Amino acid sequence: MKNLLSAKDAKKREGKPKNTFWLLKNFFAPLRVLRGQMILTFLACLALSAQARDELHLYNWNNYISDATVARFEATCRCKVVQDYYSDNEEMLAKLAAGATGHDLIVPTGDAVESLIKSGQLRPLEKTKLPHLKNVDPAYLDTAFDPGNRYSVPYAYTITLIGYNVGKMRELKLPTDTWAVIFEPGYLKKLKGRVTVLDSQRELMAAALKYLGYSANDTDEAHWRRARDLIIRAKPYWAAFNASSYIKELTVGNIWLAHGYSNDMFQAQQDARLAGRPFTIAYATPKEGAVLALDSMVLHQSGPRPDLAHRFIDFMLEGKNSAELTNLIGSGNPNRDALQYIEPAIAANQAVFPPPAVQRRLEMLKDLDRNQRRVLSRMWTEIKVH
Amino acid sequence: MTRERLTRWLVAGPPFVFMVVFFVLPALIMVAASFRIPGEHGGLAPLHEHGAWQLTPETYAFFFSDFIYTEIFLKSFLVAALTTFLCILMAYPLALLITRVPKRFRDVMILLVVLPFASNFLIRVYAWMIILGPQGALSAAVNRVAGAFGLEPVALLFSPVAVVVGMVYVHLPFMVLPLYTNLEKHDPLLLDAAQDLGANAWQRFWRVTWSLSLPGVYAGSALVFIPVLGMFAVPDILGGTGDILIGNLIKEQFLGTRDWPFGSTLSIMLTLMVLASAALAMRLARRSLAHA
Repeated sequence: MKNLLSAKDAKKREGKPKNTFWLLKNFFAPLRVLRGQMILTFLACLALSAQARDELHLYNWNNYISDATVARFEATCRCKVVQDYYSDNEEMLAKLAAGATGHDLIVPTGDAVESLIKSGQLRPLEKTKLPHLKNVDPAYLDTAFDPGNRYSVPYAYTITLIGYNVGKMRELKLPTDTWAVIFEPGYLKKLKGRVTVLDSQRELMAAALKYLGYSANDTDEAHWRRARDLIIRAKPYWAAFNASSYIKELTVGNIWLAHGYSNDMFQAQQDARLAGRPFTIAYATPKEGAVLALDSMVLHQSGPRPDLAHRFIDFMLEGKNSAELTNLIGSGNPNRDALQYIEPAIAANQAVFPPPAVQRRLEMLKDLDRNQRRVLSRMWTEIKVH
Repeated sequence: MTRERLTRWLVAGPPFVFMVVFFVLPALIMVAASFRIPGEHGGLAPLHEHGAWQLTPETYAFFFSDFIYTEIFLKSFLVAALTTFLCILMAYPLALLITRVPKRFRDVMILLVVLPFASNFLIRVYAWMIILGPQGALSAAVNRVAGAFGLEPVALLFSPVAVVVGMVYVHLPFMVLPLYTNLEKHDPLLLDAAQDLGANAWQRFWRVTWSLSLPGVYAGSALVFIPVLGMFAVPDILGGTGDILIGNLIKEQFLGTRDWPFGSTLSIMLTLMVLASAALAMRLARRSLAHA
């Protein structure tokens, strides 16, 4: 029957210009029907299994939620949270671009949210299902990457800053409140081989741009070139470009100064203390300003359970649940209701909760277009090749 | 006749199909991707857009527009060649030793060679971070010696040295095994005959053992050289600020830059280089066989 139909279709189309693929498509038409049936059967199975088991598929950063929080949510919703992890946005975007499906909820950073929105991968939120949205500090709502928060709800943030070995920096009489200490050979001379910077083109360029007085989102190639030259001049003094092992290197005392994320510095600080090291790790936001990465909860189009995802978002917006994450990993918290549950030492840490003067100098990264990405990538290769 | 043919197909068929499905097809997909345009948000832009086919050779022009990419290829080639050379240097005596020890020790020694595979590759590379780290005993010893000669202290970790050490360590078994299988087959009588004909120890090694073992050397070299060319994890973990290789560059295109077409172009270049090296190794091996 379907075959006949497509044959009729073919007659109808004869007048139109022929597409090269059209013949092929028609040739495979019977197969297509079969595939349709298979998909239907598959969906039916899926629906059955979904009914049998209530599962929320959460695709989150490594170590970005407390086990206690998950257990409580599972108890209240009487469902199971199935977690999958990524260690950077690019990894997550690459997986989704390669066709990964089935994630109800993802927690990407702003520029990645923007990219997901523009490529139509997200499901709009139903605000009526999120009564606790009022808890979020308006400073973190209505962002450039998602005006009006149609798709995203703030989860937590990190600041890209500098972490350091307090004793060494004092001993060497080095400042700890400026990017100069990462970029100026005058300071770096004393730190040769004891500094690591992030292995991320956007983050390192942002730090250099900020130090030069430009916006982290500046896309002027001339400014990029100045930033590149600044990085190349400082590079001989750095030990490595590093994505995650700087936590350990700071903790054991191999590295004295690291460019990295506030969460990681919090962990290094705790690890050093718990291991009883004779030194302490501290971290601070440079006065020139820095990158703020706001991670937000979003719903993926392919997620089978938007209902559970909404419940989870609202659950995480309750101050107590949100505070649990901050107490665990020292992440910044955009939830006003959470402050009362946060440990006083963390709540008082200006690198986690920046005072208004610093907050004004923080910037969220915006996504670059494909041509800018290619230009930046070439500069990054130039930086790394020698 | 037909039965023979059937057997031949049954034996050669599955590997052939495997190669087509997992090598030829992906390679062709990559060739196609290299001529496409990157999507605005990663991935690839639609093939047919604005009433025209969106195909362009610009990634190839981009590759040759700047010497840095060629330079990284050359550097990777050098690192791979150095690693292969060091592997031969270390694996040859070991393989020779294994063939000379009594039979009952041989299996144990072979087992010891492959034992590192029992633990995860990344864990073994991370272990080198601790061994080479400034707090490690090795680093302290090296720097004490360097200090005695009035040299400035050197950092072992995060350096090109660390990258080569990691590469050699990871790939050494791939050199030992083919060498051992080759050396094991040598007839000890050949050496006696050479001695009777007046060859000294060096001549016996060089003109008999080494010449006969060349196919094993070529096989081992291919097994080491080719993976090292594409390796990105070792430079990532052990390398310093200037130690990226092709593998890192390709990874960066697919992750950080989200530029699949250029990443594909780089991958194709790498594949071509690997195929050329493999062809060279095969020709050398064949020629040496013909001589033997």
